[in-house]
Amino acid sequence: MRNVFRLLFLVMMMFPAAPAFAQEIAVSELLAESPNLSGEVISIEGELVGDYGFRGDGWMWTQLNDDTYVDFPIRDGILPVGGNIGVGVRIPSELAENLDHPGGYHYRGPIVRLTGIWRHHDPARQGESYLEVGSLDVVEEGRVLDEGVVWWTVIAGAGLILAAGAIWRTRPERGGGDGRR
Amino acid sequence: MLIRPIAEDFRLIALYLGRILLVVAAAGMLPLVWAAIAREWDPFGSFLLMVGILAFLGAVGVRFGPAEPKLDWSHGMVVVALTWLVVPIIGAIPLLLSGHFVSPLDAFFDSMSGLTTTGLSLLSDLDHLASSLNFWRHLLQFLGGQGIIIAALTMFAGTGGITLYFGEARDERILPSVTSTARFIWGVSAVHLVFGVAALGLIGWLALGFDLDRALFHGLLVFFAAFDTGGFSPMSTSIGYYHSALFEGFTALLMVAGAMSFGLHYALWRGPRRAIFANLETKTILSTFGFTLLVTLLGLAATSVFTTAAGLSRQGLFQVLSAHTGTGFATVPTAELARWGGLAFGGMAIAMALGGMGSSTAGGVKSLRVGLTIKSVVNQIKQMLLPEHALVGTGYYQSGEKHLSPALTQSVMIISLLYVALYLLGAGVGLAYGIPLQESLFESVSASANVGLSVGVTDPTMPVLLELTYMLQMWAGRLEFVAVFSLIGFLLAWVRGK
Repeated sequence: MRNVFRLLFLVMMMFPAAPAFAQEIAVSELLAESPNLSGEVISIEGELVGDYGFRGDGWMWTQLNDDTYVDFPIRDGILPVGGNIGVGVRIPSELAENLDHPGGYHYRGPIVRLTGIWRHHDPARQGESYLEVGSLDVVEEGRVLDEGVVWWTVIAGAGLILAAGAIWRTRPERGGGDGRR
Repeated sequence: MLIRPIAEDFRLIALYLGRILLVVAAAGMLPLVWAAIAREWDPFGSFLLMVGILAFLGAVGVRFGPAEPKLDWSHGMVVVALTWLVVPIIGAIPLLLSGHFVSPLDAFFDSMSGLTTTGLSLLSDLDHLASSLNFWRHLLQFLGGQGIIIAALTMFAGTGGITLYFGEARDERILPSVTSTARFIWGVSAVHLVFGVAALGLIGWLALGFDLDRALFHGLLVFFAAFDTGGFSPMSTSIGYYHSALFEGFTALLMVAGAMSFGLHYALWRGPRRAIFANLETKTILSTFGFTLLVTLLGLAATSVFTTAAGLSRQGLFQVLSAHTGTGFATVPTAELARWGGLAFGGMAIAMALGGMGSSTAGGVKSLRVGLTIKSVVNQIKQMLLPEHALVGTGYYQSGEKHLSPALTQSVMIISLLYVALYLLGAGVGLAYGIPLQESLFESVSASANVGLSVGVTDPTMPVLLELTYMLQMWAGRLEFVAVFSLIGFLLAWVRGK
């Protein structure tokens, strides 16, 4: 079945009109319209985040986020605007082998365009929803996110700990009334 | 007449609060070390600052506390209520400095949500959060679920330990002394920690194909949130991130373990095990879980949300279990949960409102109170139907034969009614802001019962008054009101006393 599916995508990609089959959609829209898009071929674009779970069955599972932070990570100084918007994606292992590090604290993950079949409450996976990917295009490579030490927090914290130690040393002796019960 | 507290009262409260802050400072060293190992230098600085503030305030409290401390009931309750306010305030510092929150109040909200094991969150871009900060959020849930006071009691109890213990909504002393009870609770948790993290880590590594370090990271954080029925998750898509029935299954086992009273854990460990199913609390929770599961599944089936029995049972079972244990994990997106209407909504809301067992890490009304309330109502009906002089049995079994006295009935009814009032309070404020009744009620119950499931009302753009209401609900719901009322009484006495 998987091979038939891949063959279908291969055929689709061979013809210029093929991408017209895939509906380009934002993940927020996908989540809102999830039941109506079940079984449809769709394209979503966003950052791969978290982990690459190669399960040894020919598939790799990860999460694709399509939100503000894809283009403007908080580490770059953007103001926070709310939670992430992401979906689970299942990618054939051979397509995922050379991807950059997934997004996280130290990295902005690769931005990819994924085309595949939207599985809403897939009966074969007891009701899970995810995109079964047929093709993957890297739109932008991942990159390292910079950070530095915020010195005032280090100095203030160390100073307070030293002060706490000094105060602790002057604490009064307490009698048996404070013993364990 | 209210008696105005004197300087000695404040010094006594400061001493015990100081000791607890020192314990939290010690716990704060864990994410500090984590940040250093993970080379997360920005959070490293903010953790150092947090530990410094905790240690400083703790040392000041201990330094200026009375030489002969003797903690009575009211002081103990005030200490507990203050602890659950001060710790989230200071614990919010690293969260705020991370840049992942719109305002300081939002960071405080998350910290309070973590400590009270609620799980509602206003954090932006969780998927890029530093691992040490994510660890801290989950550690807050562990500290809150086990009870910070329990941690402090394990180290230095002092007189008044029992007051502190009960103030933190623990209503049974498993072993003769409070200190040994506290140690037992930590012992149970430590065993679950080792096996839970190992199991989830191995599943992550071997079945899900994560790198070993990441598998252990997920295992540890999910363990904290599951066993302490907290509901924070390492990734924004909650447990749905893992796409694994096996991972969900083990997580569900940990949620059940967390929602069990530590008295039941004791019985499971040391026997007699036969008595477990005779307990009113066990019977009640099994009945209410079965009922809410049935209602939710019928609702989902009627609206064809899931088209197969396997999908319906796996997804429905996990969500109801998460709601009833007060955990708040989800395997479906918030947008989808918000679409669950009718019976499915009703089943989930009732499951959240009822909550887990007493003296567990779960929130809500709690099963024993539900069981006793039902028993009282049934007794009343029997009394009305039977001849005037007929006697209705008032006994029930809960770790031994017990008598349902009028005083106990009154106490149970009062707390249960207070929970209902708390649920309505948040729903009312939500309605006042134009949020539909269903969403308002769901989110309010979720906050008050320390569950954390959300239909999208909890958001950085939510009104400040609603945010403050949810925080009050989380705080009062976790402490089961008594300590909160004691603090209010203490403040009133300070202002208006003579």
